[in-house]
Amino acid sequence: MLKKTPLTRYLLVFLLTVVAALWIVPLFWMLSTSLKNETDTTNIPLQWIPPKITFENYEYILFKSLLIRWLLNSFIISSTVVCFDLFINSMAAFSLSRLKFPGRDIIFSIILATLMVPQQVTIVPLYLMVNKMGLVGTYPAIIIPRVAMALGVFMLRQFFLQIPKEYEEAAEIEGAGRFLIYWRIMMPLTIPALSALAIFAFLGAWNDFMWPLIVANTPEMFTLPVGLANFSGTYQFEYAKSMSAALIASLPVILVFLFFQRQFIQGVAMTGLKG
Amino acid sequence: MFKAWHEGFAMVDKKTIRNIRDGYLFLSPYLILVIIFLIYPIFSGLWISLHEWAILGSNKPFIGLNNYRQLFSDEVFWKSLFNTFYFVLLSTPLLVILGLLFAVMLNKEIKGRTFFRAAIFMPYLLSISVVGMLWLWLLQPRHGLVSYYLEKLPFFPQINWLGDPKYAMPSIVITTVWWTIGFNMVLFLAGLQDISKELIDASKIDGTNAFQEFWYITLPLLRRVTLFVVIMQIIRSFQIFGQVYIMTGGGPYGATRVLVQYIYENGFKYWKMGYASAMAYVLLLIIMFFTLIQLKIGEKEN
Repeated sequence: MLKKTPLTRYLLVFLLTVVAALWIVPLFWMLSTSLKNETDTTNIPLQWIPPKITFENYEYILFKSLLIRWLLNSFIISSTVVCFDLFINSMAAFSLSRLKFPGRDIIFSIILATLMVPQQVTIVPLYLMVNKMGLVGTYPAIIIPRVAMALGVFMLRQFFLQIPKEYEEAAEIEGAGRFLIYWRIMMPLTIPALSALAIFAFLGAWNDFMWPLIVANTPEMFTLPVGLANFSGTYQFEYAKSMSAALIASLPVILVFLFFQRQFIQGVAMTGLKG
Repeated sequence: MFKAWHEGFAMVDKKTIRNIRDGYLFLSPYLILVIIFLIYPIFSGLWISLHEWAILGSNKPFIGLNNYRQLFSDEVFWKSLFNTFYFVLLSTPLLVILGLLFAVMLNKEIKGRTFFRAAIFMPYLLSISVVGMLWLWLLQPRHGLVSYYLEKLPFFPQINWLGDPKYAMPSIVITTVWWTIGFNMVLFLAGLQDISKELIDASKIDGTNAFQEFWYITLPLLRRVTLFVVIMQIIRSFQIFGQVYIMTGGGPYGATRVLVQYIYENGFKYWKMGYASAMAYVLLLIIMFFTLIQLKIGEKEN
């Protein structure tokens, strides 16, 4: 159809170019603003290229704000969440898909039902609990609710179910124990699903906003989104500073995305559709 | 599942026992975490919502359904509920239709497809604070990029996007579309890839045009994915919070105060934990309603 009418094809490419431009221009504007003097940001007419490129905003953000600390916090928290999720969720998924025991199906139904519950429902009781444990303002407090989620287990279980029984049986005949079967057979066969879950869990923790906003109560403990929100409140009208902070904060994820684009998009599709 | 029990313990052999032991062993780390940090809080939240629960006071009187009754007469609650519905109503069609449109366009084999896909998807990776700060700047009156160029258009009124109650919520919607459209687009793309090429090719022999192909073949085949995306989008839109918190703080004049924000304010600014919990349960009911619709549709489809 498209081959017959090149006009449609040109129109398509044209439309997509417009759309892509609309999506990229804001990011370019962020970069451009971050390289300007504060006074140049409000020049009229607008200047796409900074009249005088300066790195003073970056200097300020890197050395005089806590942004690097927030980056580090977010990185520690997100990585911990990913490690926990990969191990604990895969073990649970293995149990729920490959082993037979009384109560299994009920437990799975309950886990499934929790998928319906929005985060906001548990936020008050969780805060009271964390507060009682004296954990407010610590890494564990920020991490805890993110390792008790159902989506990963649900998704991995679907994957484990697709693995033929023969693999296990063969291993069992060879005398392999349960843990060996889980670790040496099931896990390697689910690497695509595991990496999808890793990306999903990392992004979820990295961009989580409401819970860290509540429990990270000192600037030193802020995660990146919370720290930035705070920063934005203070420097709302200092656009050059705001945009350099936003840019530094986005750089790690954007770089990783550019390198692992396919995995990212597949991961999102996988977790999105299964959930 | 309970077969082993029914057939009597004589039948319970070594393997069954090992299965039970291993089953719970593998499950326990996750199960313990979920019970303590997810399932218990869900019920505890309901319990808290039946109390006047201030965090500092030692006195937490049981007040039955009073918090829920108070919600009915709380104008700010109704206003925030209304604002939330307004946001859902504005954002869902845009995010679904544009997501589908972009996906269909990108499903064709054209040059630069990977680039276009990456460009549209990228903002989804940014954290809400970055998106909020960026659009706060873009929508600034006069100097903001958006306002600057729109005002250059003939007859276009000067709009104070985030400062005008009429435009504040649409501004939040625009920001949200820019931020999250890539997610829906990727879901639709995955759905499109499952449609067999033969079917489309067969239709081409029959001489359908691009629109007919989309309307009569692609769309019906995408029905399941579309329903799924719609419901998930509704659920996510109901939970909107970050954009509003960063960009407007609920203003101007409460025009963008949404339900989750009001929950946050009650719980963690006024420390009215019981009242906040009651509101969270209202949100849970709304979301459960849509989830059940989804499950019902899913059942029918199967």
